[in-house]
Amino acid sequence: MMVPLANSGFLELIEVAFSYPGNEFSLQGINQHFQQGEFTAIIGANGTGKTTLGKLLAGIIKPEQGQVLIAGRDSREISLGQVGKLIGYLFQQPDRQLFTPTVREEIGFALEFNGSSPEVIKKKVNDMLDIFSLADLAGAAPYQLSAGEKQRLALAALLVNQPQFLILDEPTTGLDPVRKQKLAEVLKELQGKGIGLVVISHDLSFIRSNADRVLVMAGGGLIAA
Amino acid sequence: MQLDPRTKLIMVFSLSTLAVFVQDNRLLLLVLIVSVLLVAYFTADFRFVKKARKFIILFLGIAIIQSIFAPEGEVLFKLGDLTLLTAGGLQKGIRVILRMLIIIVSAVIMTGSSAREIVQGLIRWKVPFEIAFMVSLATRFLPILGEEARDVYIAIQLRGIEPEKLPLKQRIKLYSYLLMPVLTGVIVKARELSTSMEMRAFRAYPRRTSYLRLEFKQQDYIVIILSLSFLMVILLLYLLNIW
Repeated sequence: MMVPLANSGFLELIEVAFSYPGNEFSLQGINQHFQQGEFTAIIGANGTGKTTLGKLLAGIIKPEQGQVLIAGRDSREISLGQVGKLIGYLFQQPDRQLFTPTVREEIGFALEFNGSSPEVIKKKVNDMLDIFSLADLAGAAPYQLSAGEKQRLALAALLVNQPQFLILDEPTTGLDPVRKQKLAEVLKELQGKGIGLVVISHDLSFIRSNADRVLVMAGGGLIAA
Repeated sequence: MQLDPRTKLIMVFSLSTLAVFVQDNRLLLLVLIVSVLLVAYFTADFRFVKKARKFIILFLGIAIIQSIFAPEGEVLFKLGDLTLLTAGGLQKGIRVILRMLIIIVSAVIMTGSSAREIVQGLIRWKVPFEIAFMVSLATRFLPILGEEARDVYIAIQLRGIEPEKLPLKQRIKLYSYLLMPVLTGVIVKARELSTSMEMRAFRAYPRRTSYLRLEFKQQDYIVIILSLSFLMVILLLYLLNIW
């Protein structure tokens, strides 16, 4: 198991710079660390690079300059599969991370490929179906679900993998107030278990009620709110 | 040089017709060289070079398959009793790759025109707007499908799965998961798009007006004449076997 370096965060950004080719947008000189057991919210106007920052933290894209350390390892030297064992990443558009024929298979996918026994898979999948109120939809095709249901399913499929850290891009999109409250409770419980959270969101009331720390993306940088 | 999209279509048509008809590798190589020079002159877009490098493995694979199943000519490489590479197989492998490269490289010529310009070019050729619009939709959505497949592959890996460490059987099963979201995405997008088009009164009136006007310039006529001449000359060289 990979353990973060002493006196450092589970995720660390060191002088990170990034830009997309042919685009004026860029992130410059970002230094920040994210601890396990801490709920950090990232807010900011559209197009300020919140999602890009999330992708950098998850190792999906690599920095042009500087370093992103994931559990002490440079994101350039760690495969996405290895990142996935440590971090759960919720896409801004969950459609793109749902790819199996049924809801049940979607949740059990990682367990099946990682060699868990059928009994373990069944138990863990049933637990997730209950937590995220998806039991009635277990046999449904993910692409037929509503936006809120897809969001919950994507979260369930991440959490069944028991990640040490979660990066959630707009997790409250499409959720009604009751489900939002339920999500907050689940996140609080995960935080209590020492799991770190980075939540990218425009939902300021959700952030105010739940985040320990709020960072604002602006002008290609990250500042404390 | 800014050419009319119809001129570019004629260039692509000429080059890809030659790629399909001509069987002589030396002529195909000549067509490929001309295609590369045209791309260099009209677009200066050389991203295809990176993609073309991947074709080397494909070329070797095709040459070996051709040699095993349709051995022709001198045997170049044998493994015990099994003939792995023949001169004929190598020739056919080279031909397939040259054809693919000509089609890919010539298509790059079109990248300088927007989908809207291509639609307008086709309309001016009396292609019904509905058909021309479908062509533009295809060109618009194809890159998105590739992007979606890439995202799904990232999502699969982010579930803690390392495809390179899986046994072949499981890896094939894993890749099958890429298909479903892309196909359902196509269906969902097509449904949403058709609703959106109906809402904007697509085909409500028999005649359409357009702000975009396309006019052939002198340079277009020159390029069209040169393209069609090149097509005729190469075809004649090939058919009369005087190359």
